[in-house]
Amino acid sequence: MQRQLFDHFGLPVMGLILILILAGCTPEAEKPLEEVSYRLKWLYNISVVGDLYALDSGLFKKQGLAVNVKPGGPEKDAIKELELGHAQFGVASADQVIRAVSKGSPIVVIAQLFQTNPLHWIYRPDKIPLKTPQDLKGKTIGITHGGNDETIMRALLAKYGIQENEVTLFSVRYDYTPFYQGKVDLWPLYRNAQAPIIGAKLIKAGERFDLMDPSKMGIRFVANSVVTTRKMLEDRRETVQRFIKALLEGWREALDPANTEKAIALLLKYNKETPEDIVRQQLPATRILMMPSAKFRFGAIDVAAWQQTEEIMLAQKLIPVSVYVEKLLKPMNNK
Amino acid sequence: MQLELKDINYTYPGSARNVFRQLSCQVTAPGFHALFGPSGVGKTTLAKMISGSITAFSGAVRTDQMTHVLYTYNLERLPGWHSVQDHLTQITPPPKHSRMEELVDSFGLEPCLNSRFAQLSLGQQNRTNLTRYLLQDFDLLIMDESLANVDEITKEKIILKIKALYPDRCFLYISHNVVEVAKFCKQILVLRSYHKNPQAVSLQGQDFNGRQPIAEKDLEQCMLEIVNAA
Amino acid sequence: MLHRRIYQFLMIYFIGFAGLMLVKYSLNLSDYVIPGFSEIGMACRRYFWLYLLAVLNTLAVAILGHLLSICMATLVGIIGRLTIWIGSFIRVAAYNIQAYPIVAVAPIIFILLGDGLSSRLLIAAMICYFPLLLSIIGILSEPVAEIEHFFESTRRMNWQLQVKIRAFENMHKLMTVIVGSATLAMVGTIVAEFIAANAGIGYSIRIALYQSDLAKILVALFLIGICTSIYLVFLEWLGMEIKKRIGSV
Repeated sequence: MQRQLFDHFGLPVMGLILILILAGCTPEAEKPLEEVSYRLKWLYNISVVGDLYALDSGLFKKQGLAVNVKPGGPEKDAIKELELGHAQFGVASADQVIRAVSKGSPIVVIAQLFQTNPLHWIYRPDKIPLKTPQDLKGKTIGITHGGNDETIMRALLAKYGIQENEVTLFSVRYDYTPFYQGKVDLWPLYRNAQAPIIGAKLIKAGERFDLMDPSKMGIRFVANSVVTTRKMLEDRRETVQRFIKALLEGWREALDPANTEKAIALLLKYNKETPEDIVRQQLPATRILMMPSAKFRFGAIDVAAWQQTEEIMLAQKLIPVSVYVEKLLKPMNNK
Repeated sequence: MQLELKDINYTYPGSARNVFRQLSCQVTAPGFHALFGPSGVGKTTLAKMISGSITAFSGAVRTDQMTHVLYTYNLERLPGWHSVQDHLTQITPPPKHSRMEELVDSFGLEPCLNSRFAQLSLGQQNRTNLTRYLLQDFDLLIMDESLANVDEITKEKIILKIKALYPDRCFLYISHNVVEVAKFCKQILVLRSYHKNPQAVSLQGQDFNGRQPIAEKDLEQCMLEIVNAA
Repeated sequence: MLHRRIYQFLMIYFIGFAGLMLVKYSLNLSDYVIPGFSEIGMACRRYFWLYLLAVLNTLAVAILGHLLSICMATLVGIIGRLTIWIGSFIRVAAYNIQAYPIVAVAPIIFILLGDGLSSRLLIAAMICYFPLLLSIIGILSEPVAEIEHFFESTRRMNWQLQVKIRAFENMHKLMTVIVGSATLAMVGTIVAEFIAANAGIGYSIRIALYQSDLAKILVALFLIGICTSIYLVFLEWLGMEIKKRIGSV
């Protein structure tokens, strides 16, 4: 009888026991990953290479996170998504952050990506030699009404006592024709992403170009930073730490000259529209803006620059009262 | 003045069914004639061939000494932006203005003159439409159910007036009404199904002109002939 | 008619607004995501007149573009009805061109014409032109046999009369298309301004979006709705007057 029972059930039961034992022995990798969403500021381009690197190299996974990296765009606003719970982390510019906080948005800054704002102005040094800010007088300067570049340029003009009627502000969009035609002397662009493309066109046309960096003239307006909600930081601090650890590691590795080829290949995998030779120029330009020196601790928050950004916005009445920006800055890069 | 149709063959576009097969007939003199036949036999199609709006058929249509052939039907409308009077005045050649007044009076259109076409009753619409055709230059006027909505008394009045005013013209009156066809028409072309041979039969009507009475017996005989022929 | 339109618009607007507020307060969202009453009130006080001028500017361009489209569509519709071949060619071409999204075509227009009035006008006209054209070709190439027959058989017909008959007989359809395309013209102008112009409410909306300022956008939407409603009512009134006027000639 017993033998009969064993014949009937013995083998399947033993098989089941074996499976359970093996399952118990599998490493902790089987532990489910914690899912979070991360909304970028822009589409997949050089300014998000570190984010993609962290994702693609399994750095997030190593930290037990399954990160849904979502590309941004002109109408995407990471801060709104954080509040609505569609994302747990995001990238936003400093002015966005300050504006949101002044309207009661419960967000905090956990890392600063760009140490120098990539927003520069391209110009032809042969036509307009720009030695001092005073040389801006009489020039036609491109700005995007309502955009960051308008705020930065107005701050720059104010700082050097240049009246608005001493320059001609030209409203710009994506079409560079007025600059190519010479109707506009200085045209705003992103130094790391756009300057290599536009510069290449000018060089092809036999012209020299140079870039005006507002930070060298004392306007340090902070650009992209990583943000999360105050609640996330309080309730899931450990998750935030793991996320930022993986993210900053991704950025450091992506910008490490030793990993250049890997970073370029990775970006080309996500962004097939940008030619490789352009990406090759964009990567070092990005490195300069994010890693001022080899020893720089990536992601550090420049409190003074944030304070200046807030002062500029206050002066231009973009926010009604101070938000005490330093209270929002919760650097996590030293953890 | 002669209307002659010879060996007409016709099939509706996109259809395999014959409408006319070797159809031949003729109308030899001016007068108020009829084209009679059951529904769907091809009266309107034949009328359109005569007036020239259908040309894709084989055979011949001869309209000797008839340069102006007009075709009118009972569903026609006047443009909505004009009153009846404005329209009639506009489309009537100046020498015919007195004829216009006479027709308006005889056809009882006086009360309709200041109205728009859409505001008229169906009978008034029929009369107005016919009036404007009568004011045009024509040798042959095909009237396709042109008085379909007009009451019998007025219809008689109108037909007699037409016969009196236009004795030298040719009319082809399309109707389903055996009595009026037999009574008023001179020659009656009875159109029959394409299975029958000949497809058109010509009969003599009573051609009543309002002056000489017609014998009841003759009228009945004529009606019988028409019905038998169809 | 005007009261009813405005009343209907206000109902729709405030239902939408109430929905937004419901989301804001039920999810406890900050003023950055959805502005509160005080911020909207402030934006209204500060930008009402500025935005009203911008909307009127946009509306003026939209009306011009709309007029241009109506004239062009009528002209092409008249040509298109001449022969079956031309008519069907224009129809197919119109279907193909209107399939292009304007945001893809707009950059080419701005490169060629710059970002001034002409580009705004062209884009506004383009957006409302093709639906108008297709309807007008359809209407003008469809004979009204019961009326046209008399004029054809008495050799009085000419193209003006033919167009007049067909337009008059289809006046209701035409007015529906014209009123419908007026909304498209307005949308087209706003899109054009949003993409590249330096004036108009579309441009103001873009700036507000740059600044993530939904309060300003709500004010802009309110004014766009009111002004468009007034324009539509005007067109409907005009349609009735034209019909009456043609009717009394």
